[in-house]
Amino acid sequence: MSGQVVRRLVLVSLMIVISALIALANPFFLTSDNLVKLLQEASQTGIMAIGFTLVMITAGIDMSIGAIVAVTAMVSINFISYTKLPVPLFVPITLFVGVVVGYFNGFLITKFKLPEFIVTLGTKSILSGIALVIAVKDSMGFVQNVYIQDESYLWFGSQTFGGIYRTTIAFVILGVITQLFLKNTRTGTNIYASGANPVAARLSGINTDRVVRGVYVFSGFCASVAAIFISSRMMTAMPELGLGQEMDVIASVVIGGTSFNGGSGDVWGSMLGAIFLALVKNGILKIGISPWVQPIVIGGIIVTTVIIDVTQKNLSERHATKSKLKKLAETSAGSAA
Amino acid sequence: MEESDNSDVLLECKHIAKSYNGPIVLDNVDFSIKRGEIHSLVGENGAGKSTLIKIITGAADRNSGEIWFNRTKLPMQYTRKYAENLGIAVIYQELSLIPGMTIAQNIYLAKEPLFPRTRIVDKKKLNATAQELIERYKFPLKSTDLIDTLSIAQRQLVEILKALSQNASLVIMDEPTSSLTQKEAEMLFGIIRMLRQEGISVLYISHRLEEVYALSDRVTVLRDGKVVSVLGKEEISPSEIIRLMIGHRLEDNEVRHSLPKVKGDVVLEVNHLTSIGKFTDISFQLHRGEILGVGGLVGSGRTELVRVLYGIDPFDSGTISFMGNVWEPSVRASINAGIGLIPEERRLQGILASQTVTRNIGITNLDHVAPRGVVQKKTEKKLAYEGIRLLNIKPSNPDALAGTLSGGNQQKLVLAKWLVRELQLILIDEPTVGIDIGAKEEIYEHIKSLSRQGVSVILVSSDLPELTRLSNRVLVLRKGRIIREFKECVITSEKILRAASGILEEQDEKDIINK
Repeated sequence: MSGQVVRRLVLVSLMIVISALIALANPFFLTSDNLVKLLQEASQTGIMAIGFTLVMITAGIDMSIGAIVAVTAMVSINFISYTKLPVPLFVPITLFVGVVVGYFNGFLITKFKLPEFIVTLGTKSILSGIALVIAVKDSMGFVQNVYIQDESYLWFGSQTFGGIYRTTIAFVILGVITQLFLKNTRTGTNIYASGANPVAARLSGINTDRVVRGVYVFSGFCASVAAIFISSRMMTAMPELGLGQEMDVIASVVIGGTSFNGGSGDVWGSMLGAIFLALVKNGILKIGISPWVQPIVIGGIIVTTVIIDVTQKNLSERHATKSKLKKLAETSAGSAA
Repeated sequence: MEESDNSDVLLECKHIAKSYNGPIVLDNVDFSIKRGEIHSLVGENGAGKSTLIKIITGAADRNSGEIWFNRTKLPMQYTRKYAENLGIAVIYQELSLIPGMTIAQNIYLAKEPLFPRTRIVDKKKLNATAQELIERYKFPLKSTDLIDTLSIAQRQLVEILKALSQNASLVIMDEPTSSLTQKEAEMLFGIIRMLRQEGISVLYISHRLEEVYALSDRVTVLRDGKVVSVLGKEEISPSEIIRLMIGHRLEDNEVRHSLPKVKGDVVLEVNHLTSIGKFTDISFQLHRGEILGVGGLVGSGRTELVRVLYGIDPFDSGTISFMGNVWEPSVRASINAGIGLIPEERRLQGILASQTVTRNIGITNLDHVAPRGVVQKKTEKKLAYEGIRLLNIKPSNPDALAGTLSGGNQQKLVLAKWLVRELQLILIDEPTVGIDIGAKEEIYEHIKSLSRQGVSVILVSSDLPELTRLSNRVLVLRKGRIIREFKECVITSEKILRAASGILEEQDEKDIINK
């Protein structure tokens, strides 16, 4: 527990240091306009990261979230282009598509005992294709760039008091609810148990398959929420929307301290991670480095964080077993004498 | 519903039989546990203990026979969950707790107290109930502590509490003291006795006979899948149990072997070798062509010693010399110097199941097969044929996948990998577990012929007749130390088991002094 606290403190102080450095290089960084935008960026990734965190706690991975964003955004665009349905009617349908896709992932994983990575990589490709197929096309068959004019849809991605984006508010609300759910309900406990020791969880009467299906459904839901906010903010959506976003999401969750091995981590961490990542990306732009280095930096951050986590864990484990074994040897030597 | 006549019997197994496609593991076993008794189940490795436990707990199905629990007849097939709901709890050797959670969360996993009409866990109540349970049994635990911070012994207590919270009436403990210190074990014994006072029955399985002796109200002895005897409290004595466990084997010369005097130069010399927590102060010499048997209970440090000698694990202090020179073990150096290893877990560590016999033999001999980095298919195949011929591997098809071979032939394959090389020393760990008699004999012959060719052998085995038959000398390890060395004397399985269990009798002492 205290290890987690230390980790958070390190992360936050790192964020402060980085902010200070960026601010020194570019005074525009500390303007409220930039900070609000930075939070907006973080929120888009963060909403997906919230669902992804639950998946990772069950020791799973969801490579399809970026493609879910693309497909659900295309669903929204279709409604906007071809129907007169009001937002309160079609947005729930869009969200439902995300849920169905998530359930499909969970179903394949639990029913056929398939590796999560392969399943979601497969659905990622399928969904990217579907997004292209259902994209709005012009008479020549080219994908058309639809401009969203529906005011009520644009409401999602717009700013509110203090210039804060509604995306950020949604991010915080979703995060807080998920965190409380995770820590205080029986289902939340079951999610941790299923990831930490699935055999023991099943022996205790937990239906781990149901838990796993549940987290993928939630991950799909979060991705479709993100799709609505992103497309609303951009006032358009292309079928490539969200593709590759899973890297940013994985980075956020890993930085936040959720382990690939499952059984540990929480939403707070991933939320911090998403902000950290947005800060780094924003900093790269503000300092004036080419934006092309962003993927290099993100990949580097993921690998570095995992290396730090693993070596730290190994070190502390080795230390613990060593001292325990020493104690054991001493006491048995004592009893033998 | 039928009723069992005896009301103080909690569990009764009648005529249980079980075979795993072929070999009979349990043969007409009658077994019963009374209410509120500590009952021990003993037997050598392979006697059928774990199979019987698996059947009782629902982890395996029986072929025939009845099981009665609490005067109710249980179905032919049932799940672990079913057994648990009846009140049969198992304290697993590989502990089944969830790391990252508190003691209270683990005890009441999936049974947490909730706020009325919600799915929200009442944490206060959860912690309080757990603490109450802890205090009722006066365990030195705090319900809000994380599992990760507990020692193995404390985790066992949590498992016991979990069982108690589910109103278990039978608690099964499988080698619970194998990773406990003396002090922790004593505490566990106190708790086991307390459970008995509460009217809970405990089924205790241990290789450590002094524990069985100290704790049990009754002892059931299994041998070769049959119940040999059920001893009452006053009949229990360690030497009686050992006598029953080993029995009178068919021919006397199967049991008694004279260990011949060893000659030849010293190949391997180990001095005061210590690896903290694994083994302590191990010293011995190994001569050319000698077969040195290493006996002892599981967990006595035998496998760990072999791993250190081969260079897989590091050691903390002591020296090793090989062929007269100081030896720093490493796997690569071992292979180059002609030291081979037949590891304990054949399927996991010995073979590549999805690869052919040829590739399996080739992989250990890449220096020969692929001298410049490219595998010479012809050389590899030639080597494979040689190995197949040497060890009579069946089917004699070099393209057969290793995983499809029988256990005996897989083990021969593991041997073949080394026999096609020039060996000086081979370390063999449990070579014949789960292998049929015929293949066993063949493997024995190969080990003997290796020794005749001047290869030194270190043979770790729990199979006592195997040790007595093959060895020139036998070291017995106990809790990581060499507790006895048998050389140039008459050796029996019984002597080894007594030493391994920590029972030294005057007769043995005289044997040694007389020599």
